[in-house]
Amino acid sequence: MSTRLSLAIASLVVLVVHGIVFYDQFLNRWEKHQTAYLEQARSLAKTDAERQSIDAAKPRIEQIIVTQFGESRVDRCTTCHIASDDPRFQAYSQPLHTHSYSASLGDIEKNGRWERRHKFSDFGCTICHDGQGRGLDTFYAHGEDENWPQPLLGFATQANWKPAYKAKLTGAEYMQSNCAQCHTEDSFAGTPLVTRGRQLFFEKGCYGCHRIQGLSHGTLGPDLTEVGKRWRIDYLWGHTVNPRDYSAVSFMPKFDLNDDEIKALVVFLKSRKGMNFAETTMDQYRAKLQQTSLPAGVGANADNTPSAARGEQLIAQRSCTACHRLGDKDGHISPDLSYEGLIRDDNWLMAHFKEPRSRIPDSIMPVFGFSEGDYRSITDSLLSRKTPPNFKTGEETYKGLCARCHGEKGDGKGVTYLYLDPAPRDLTKAAFMTTKPEERFLTSLKEGVPGTSMPPWERVLTDQQRKDVLDYVFKTFVKESRRELKERKVPETNPVAFTPESVNAGEQIFLQRCTGCHGRKSDGKGPNSLDISPRPRNLRNSAFINHTTDKRLFTSITYGVEGTAMPSWMDYGLTQTDIGNLINFIRSLNPKPAAAPAEGKSPKLTSRLTVRR
Amino acid sequence: MKNPAKSAPDGAPEDVNRRKLLSWLSGFGLFGSAVIAALANLIFIKPRVTYGAPNRFSIGKPEDFPPGARIALDTRRVCIVRDGDSLAAISTTCTHLGCIVAVSETGFACPCHGSHYDQDGNVTGGPAPRALSWYQLTLAPNGELVVDKDNEIEAGKYLKV
Amino acid sequence: MSTQTVTRSRDGWLALPGNIWRSVFRNPLPDSDLGRASTSFTNFFLHIHPVKVSRHSLKATYTFGLGLMSAFLFLILTVTGVLLMFYYVPSTTQAYDRMLDLRGTVAFGIFLRNMHRWSAHAMVAVVFLHMCRVFLTGAYKPPREFNWVLGVLLLLVTFFMSFTGYLLPWDQLAFWAITVGTSIAGYAPFVGKDVRFLLLGDSTVGQEALLRFYVLHVAVLPIVLTMLATIHFWRIRKDGGLARPPEEDALPGESSTPGPMEVVSAAPVVMATSAGAAAAAKPLLERKQYGIQGLVRGPITKVGNISDRSKFSWPSLFQAELLVFVITVAAILVVSLFFNAPLEEPVNAMHPPNPAKAPWYFLGLQEMVSYSAFWGGVGIPTIEVLILLLVPYLDRKQVGVGRWFAKERLLPNTLFITFAVLNVVLMVIGTFFRGANWEFVSPW
Repeated sequence: MSTRLSLAIASLVVLVVHGIVFYDQFLNRWEKHQTAYLEQARSLAKTDAERQSIDAAKPRIEQIIVTQFGESRVDRCTTCHIASDDPRFQAYSQPLHTHSYSASLGDIEKNGRWERRHKFSDFGCTICHDGQGRGLDTFYAHGEDENWPQPLLGFATQANWKPAYKAKLTGAEYMQSNCAQCHTEDSFAGTPLVTRGRQLFFEKGCYGCHRIQGLSHGTLGPDLTEVGKRWRIDYLWGHTVNPRDYSAVSFMPKFDLNDDEIKALVVFLKSRKGMNFAETTMDQYRAKLQQTSLPAGVGANADNTPSAARGEQLIAQRSCTACHRLGDKDGHISPDLSYEGLIRDDNWLMAHFKEPRSRIPDSIMPVFGFSEGDYRSITDSLLSRKTPPNFKTGEETYKGLCARCHGEKGDGKGVTYLYLDPAPRDLTKAAFMTTKPEERFLTSLKEGVPGTSMPPWERVLTDQQRKDVLDYVFKTFVKESRRELKERKVPETNPVAFTPESVNAGEQIFLQRCTGCHGRKSDGKGPNSLDISPRPRNLRNSAFINHTTDKRLFTSITYGVEGTAMPSWMDYGLTQTDIGNLINFIRSLNPKPAAAPAEGKSPKLTSRLTVRR
Repeated sequence: MKNPAKSAPDGAPEDVNRRKLLSWLSGFGLFGSAVIAALANLIFIKPRVTYGAPNRFSIGKPEDFPPGARIALDTRRVCIVRDGDSLAAISTTCTHLGCIVAVSETGFACPCHGSHYDQDGNVTGGPAPRALSWYQLTLAPNGELVVDKDNEIEAGKYLKV
Repeated sequence: MSTQTVTRSRDGWLALPGNIWRSVFRNPLPDSDLGRASTSFTNFFLHIHPVKVSRHSLKATYTFGLGLMSAFLFLILTVTGVLLMFYYVPSTTQAYDRMLDLRGTVAFGIFLRNMHRWSAHAMVAVVFLHMCRVFLTGAYKPPREFNWVLGVLLLLVTFFMSFTGYLLPWDQLAFWAITVGTSIAGYAPFVGKDVRFLLLGDSTVGQEALLRFYVLHVAVLPIVLTMLATIHFWRIRKDGGLARPPEEDALPGESSTPGPMEVVSAAPVVMATSAGAAAAAKPLLERKQYGIQGLVRGPITKVGNISDRSKFSWPSLFQAELLVFVITVAAILVVSLFFNAPLEEPVNAMHPPNPAKAPWYFLGLQEMVSYSAFWGGVGIPTIEVLILLLVPYLDRKQVGVGRWFAKERLLPNTLFITFAVLNVVLMVIGTFFRGANWEFVSPW
């Protein structure tokens, strides 16, 4: 009996669901819109014939199939927006609204009648607006579905977009990025934001790291040739504002941009879809061969100007201050160049331009690939900056020169700290600061720390000024007095001879003990390195290692480094011979340039030695 | 497999009515569902959009067709005829076996089996069984002519512009 | 055979509808046992059933109708699948667009896709549960060893069916699930790379893979599955119906502890028209005529109107089967009404989602793969399948057959439950507890 009852109930459930599904199929919103349109059109009709044909019309799915622009598109937008090409509906609200006519879109008015430049039957809708042409309800058609990569540009947002950006991502101007698919001229009047974005791409130095086919060939960052195809404008916006929100490992700097600039950049980037309807394949190929790297105006050769003055212009045109500080302009990313003439010399600057990593092995500065003459001019211009600052107290000096990297609070977190590797020293770490001899700090101040962004202040600051600033640091940040350590027994030079056997023994010890932090490639990027502050040393930083004495290496390995994660390896059973072997291994990674070859000649070799395995 | 008229086997007499009712209910539910499902599948099979060339398309403004013009749009398989301010769209698909007829001085001629039609599409010779179809031609609100090949009209019915 | 099946022909136009009806349905609705019997075996769709069926087999709590349910799910899948084929194009440029059309334009398109999707998931789950049922009731013991083997093969084919269907929408979910899934296959020793290449027809998932998966999904595998399932059903009859405890087959007056089943089943009960042999065995069966359908291997052949622990298939069995069918359909319909089948972003071969996950029934594998590629992806699954295939040949003792969680079968049942739960737990971990970079996350 219960079988029959359950059977009856289940059968009725089946019937009800069938009924619901069947009925639901006839409740399409677009049918309502079309019915409303037909009613209105009937009341607007002038002749009987017109009325008759309207009476005969039934709601149906309208579609425009466009094949001439890239992949074929099926746009069914006019199913709901059925009045979009009917001039009588200008006063109606969406979806029964006439698409506006505008001279700026190329529409022409003749005898009171507008004629469209971009006919809907030829172009469809999504080619300008984006959205999902095949969708038949607003959620899908407008691309509000998070799974659709092209929501209506400037009109639709998706639920998972950051609320902070959402309001900024609406506005018809975002559609300029689609105009630029065909109108690729550099300064097309209809796409001012694309033009501005392209300018910013060069002004802000983006081109130094990013490649866009036909525009730039940076290699440090991702290729942006097709960036607009994949990413939605919320991602482009957010990533431009703060790269680390989206990718924790991004080392793209956070630029100082206002909303208008970001919008222009976003529109420009969105327009990079890697295809160009107006171009033929042959055009694209020619562009590829040409590889124009800089837009007109940038780097224009001004004859008869002295090199330094020309360098000044170049610095302005190529927006060095998008990252660097120079006088009152500051990009908050990379070192202050205001006193460069007192800090670096000609050799250093030229070598650094050609290969920044030859001087500071972990620098993020891209290789810009300017001409030799341009580098010469910029170097001359920088070297002409020889006016030392006039700081009276240690505090003034610190705030004027040190705080930009070491931070207002001395915690090593100045505005630029994220982009410097090795990171600026945390001056509040008393354990470190109080155990190192005063001479070491004074030497670092005077001579800088080779292989890092700490410059030599010898010619910028007087002895007294350097002493004052050190006192200021100790008084304000360290707040503890120096500790006298027990005397340490450390040889002045490595007692173990530098032989292949010693290096091999050192490598074995290194692979067993050190790779967790210093990494298998000894580049300081071991698996634990991310959790350690300060980060482990890059032992392939030749400039730094070659400048460091055996005694200091011995001390650091034997007794550890206070205030860092480096432990005292004496406690873990390493003998003096072991440590000697280790030091020989580390030295073997950083061969000294034999008898100082000509500066700048193959700098890569010195810093990029392959690991012997 | 299912037999809606299934009846109860012998059982206690007082249960028989109840059983019968439940059987009829199940039968009703399942039979009804089957009917709806069959109908729904028919609707499903019938495409609501087509993927080929559309049957309704815009062909431009009336001015594009000067009086006296007989312009065959081969890809669309339609010939636009203008006579003074009267316009019409005549099919260029031969009614015999579906070849594309050519526009000739006297009307239309089929290259496949030699059917001939006059200027209005009436058969004048050859194996063609019927006259060529006339399609509905309307003037859309944006001022363009629209041919609707789904909509055949009687021959000789022109659109006045 | 019986007077009821003789068609009573009448003449005249008025009798035409009746004559047509009777020519199709030879039996009127039965009102006698003889009629019930002949209804079963004169109907094409019903004749695979026995005329009488043990009451034990009819108990809902014994089988839960799981095997039947998977068969019905396959039926739903076939019907909806064939309908979806009308609109699907196995091409990388069109497949996703057709999905959008099914969702937006085609009448009932989204509903049919939902039904197909959810039935596919349900079938994988139900087939697995059916296997659990058969094991835990000891129903794979002789003479049903081979049917268990067929069942294991059916499980594998079901997995593969579902897996091949997963790629067809050509969205990010599909693309990366198949990329991950076929990479797991690539870990097999010696043949892995070749199997993967054969499956994909290319070194990566692309147009060739889509076409191959489509052909496998709509032609090859359904045929294989249908054939295996047909043999599976046929064997049920030939192995004497569903497994049940021996006392269920005891005849009235007979001792409730009959001899070992094997004795009875080893020798098919061949009965001739002569009643001699049967009469010697059972006085009750005296003077009975046996038809050819008596030539069935099994513990006992149900003939005659002996009051035993069985019922006529019409209506008890058919009603129960119909109920399982309607409940299955109802469940799928209701789920399809409320939940839409997922459709993610169109394929972007450059940007894998993080994490890229295989279909849920392979997430146990993927979880194991995250520990050891070879053992998790190939070693352990192969061993599992081998053990499953060998189980009926290793465990042949005729104890605890036809009862859930029989005490005598404590060890095998415990082992099996551990095996099943372990797999499910791994699947659950893989599905809910793994986030970006396959790191452990809490779903809450």
